[in-house]
Amino acid sequence: MTEFAAAAMASGAQLRLRQLTKAFGASQAVDRISLDVPAGAFVSLLGPSGSGKTTTLNLIAGFLTPDAGDILLDERSIADVPPHKRNIGMVFQSYSLFPHMTVAENVGFPLRMRTRLSRQAARQRIDEMLALVQLGHLGTRYPRQLSGGQQQRVAMARALVSHPRLLLMDEPLGALDKKLREQMQVEIKRIHRSVGTTVIYVTHDQTEALTMSDLVVVMHQARVSQVGTPRVLYEAPANLFVADFLGDSNLLTATIAHVSGDELAVEIGNGEKIRAARGTSAAAQGSRTVVLIRPEDISLTATDERTAGQDVVAGTIKDISYHGDTFKLDVALGADMLKVKVPRERGAGMERGQKVFLTWNSSVVRLLPAADRTSDASGEDER
Amino acid sequence: MSATAGRLGLSAAVLAVLIYLIFPVIVVVAISFSSGNFLVFPPPGFSLRWYESIAGDPEWVNALWVTLKVGSLSALIAVLLGVPAAFALVRHVIPAKALLSALILCALVTPPIVTALSTYLFFVPLGLVNTVVGLACAHAVSGMPFVVINTSASLRSADINLERAAVIHGAHPLWAVLRITLPIISPGIVIGAIFAFVHSAHELLVATFVLGGVGKPVAVKIWSGVQATSDPTIAAASAILIGLAIFTFASAAATQSLAKRRTA
Amino acid sequence: MTALAEPRAAPLLRPALSSRGRMLPALLLLPCLAWITFFFLAPLVLMCWRSLASDGFSLEPYGVLFTSPLFTKVMITTVRTAAITTVFALLLAYPLAYALTISGGKVRALILVFTLIPYWVDIIVRSFSWLILLGDNGMVNKALMALGIVSAPLQMLYNPFSVLLAMVQILLPLTTVTLFGAMLRIDRTLITAAKIHGASEWHAFRTVFFPLSLPGVYGAGLLVFVLALGFYVTPALLGSPRETMIAQTIMVEASQLLDWPQASAAGAVLLIITTSIAAIYNRYFSLDRLWGGSDK
Repeated sequence: MTEFAAAAMASGAQLRLRQLTKAFGASQAVDRISLDVPAGAFVSLLGPSGSGKTTTLNLIAGFLTPDAGDILLDERSIADVPPHKRNIGMVFQSYSLFPHMTVAENVGFPLRMRTRLSRQAARQRIDEMLALVQLGHLGTRYPRQLSGGQQQRVAMARALVSHPRLLLMDEPLGALDKKLREQMQVEIKRIHRSVGTTVIYVTHDQTEALTMSDLVVVMHQARVSQVGTPRVLYEAPANLFVADFLGDSNLLTATIAHVSGDELAVEIGNGEKIRAARGTSAAAQGSRTVVLIRPEDISLTATDERTAGQDVVAGTIKDISYHGDTFKLDVALGADMLKVKVPRERGAGMERGQKVFLTWNSSVVRLLPAADRTSDASGEDER
Repeated sequence: MSATAGRLGLSAAVLAVLIYLIFPVIVVVAISFSSGNFLVFPPPGFSLRWYESIAGDPEWVNALWVTLKVGSLSALIAVLLGVPAAFALVRHVIPAKALLSALILCALVTPPIVTALSTYLFFVPLGLVNTVVGLACAHAVSGMPFVVINTSASLRSADINLERAAVIHGAHPLWAVLRITLPIISPGIVIGAIFAFVHSAHELLVATFVLGGVGKPVAVKIWSGVQATSDPTIAAASAILIGLAIFTFASAAATQSLAKRRTA
Repeated sequence: MTALAEPRAAPLLRPALSSRGRMLPALLLLPCLAWITFFFLAPLVLMCWRSLASDGFSLEPYGVLFTSPLFTKVMITTVRTAAITTVFALLLAYPLAYALTISGGKVRALILVFTLIPYWVDIIVRSFSWLILLGDNGMVNKALMALGIVSAPLQMLYNPFSVLLAMVQILLPLTTVTLFGAMLRIDRTLITAAKIHGASEWHAFRTVFFPLSLPGVYGAGLLVFVLALGFYVTPALLGSPRETMIAQTIMVEASQLLDWPQASAAGAVLLIITTSIAAIYNRYFSLDRLWGGSDK
């Protein structure tokens, strides 16, 4: 019984992936992935389809055996442990509730399989879980009588009932519509805070990852592209892929024009020179680079209202689209096209063909490596 | 050519072909109830005498019994061997999968006379000639493709995550397969088993070589009957076979819809 | 509960996991393959062996096969019958398969049931029913005479006509279902696109659907041809000696003449022909699509 007493007091496990590798025939699905997940963290594996995120999850779960590498849960290797002994909870996109069992029986399933709890104790635990996911009154229903959102909550209750120290979630909200998805995101975060278990959450939806996670692992072509907190990934992307994948971005090819001390200037397509944030890249004068400016960081004025210390470039509006709270404009700058996002009052009155002046804070101008080299950086615990 | 004329023409063609397909079946069944002495269609009157004569003839009853035994045994073997094979082919990565698939299917494409002759030559030294078990073993080979194909189809459409959900939450993988996945794919298995059974019941040439003597199955008896007699006993025997096939299929369909209603 | 393992130091890369996991698919497949090898392949090998050696090694049975006028004639008849059967089966199956493709749920299910019911009746019975229908006193002749189209019964039995009629009917369900499966894979939105751009129903069919269905037609044709080659009951029951097909000859050699080497040789030749054709089929219409196609 000590297993359960201990589990009742534990919250999240620390998870480490070491050079995890898996190939299917000729295609490499997961390529030397290393990751350090702190105990109790909510970590998203984010990436387009084919990036390896689901394969990684299945490796952690034990449904796939790695070709090489190791998986450590609380510093103990579990790579040789079969999936039914790993003591992990999992939630699937298709809910995967057992159709011939009631909700209560579904939730109680891990208890029947893993423990020898008395009927009463099990009943109590089940009720606790159903209360946690706010479905206390639905214990005797069958899955087919529940809505999608309810079924997913039952799945969460089932996954958490035996107090696992690790919870895996495989695009659990993919089958739900937008409004329900947003509600469930809040629900999941609330449950996470209550329970404290470590969560690995696979998604291709960057908004979901950014809003829910403590740490985001961006994956691309079987490797880790960057690991960091949502803010770091969004505001300080390490490479082209991450910059492009998260949010809207303007990516301009440029040449480093001038490096001295704190100052860094690049020359962009139309010959103009703009200042950039110093950043971490070791920039050499004359080298090629890519410059990132987020559309919402650009200010737009009809007249040249430059103040000292700010870069201003002139351009022509090629297209405007209305998005309710904002306007999105395509502004031509010589050969480049910049996307600009402005609040509604700003954008109203702007017209196609109008000449405008763009300005921004030089700290938002980030440099990225010219070629897209994804690193397999081991997890950095940046908070 | 207008669309409706096209549709009409298609419907007419389809109807004609369907009649061409179905009609002989109707003929045989009708004749089996004939009160006349000869193979005449339409039959002169209604009578159950041919069924009675079959029921009273120990040779016919024995033949039916043999057919049932051989068919069930071969279907059973086909299921026991074919279901795991289907799992391997659908769920796992296997080298030379195409070649293995072809191997399993080749029994269906080989001319029956070749199978019959070769099986006979092989069985003689083994002492398997004139045994029910021998014929069942041979029929199991051609029953296997039906089981494998249908089970695979069911497996592919089944949600593997259901099994995974059970396993990750503590169920032993074998338990999960037996208690979660197998019930879900049972329709496919049952259909495959039925096809295997029916195939065995209809099979003539291998049966003639291997069990064509005293304990012959219905198919062999019908064949010798067709060439010898010209009375509707043969039709009655055939109708019984048809009835058997329909009955097995209907009961399988019924059990499946019952199972579906339970788990839907 | 998992045992406490030593925390891992370097090396970080470990070789692949338990061979237990690797062996599972092989274990699952092995009984099935072993059975087929023993009860199917081994006999075939034995048969080929017996065709070469009775008293000693001799290719004589093969010699007889290729020189004897009897065998040559039978082989030609067999191939010709199978070919004609294939053509007609395809011709009739095509509209049926097409109807299945464009029909909605209930109608499709109905047609499918009707198409498949004959499958539940064995070949003997289906051939035999034609015996009843086409005889001098059979229904067809009675109807023709009643309608005044003919004055004396037509000889419709024991000739190529009856054999082909029955063979096509017997192979029709399989042809239809195979074609149907292939047609389902055709993207119907292509036809809609053609019609939007002005094509008539017929034109869209002729220029878009039909060419796309041709691979399916070839596939089904190969399959039917192979099966037709091996027919025994139908030509035996409904044909005259002139319509004898190879399966009947082999049967006679084996069960009546007891000339095992000769029968085996003929069987081996037939086997090689059907295997080659099936191999061609497999190359272009890979059979493993039946399990879900490409390896994961």
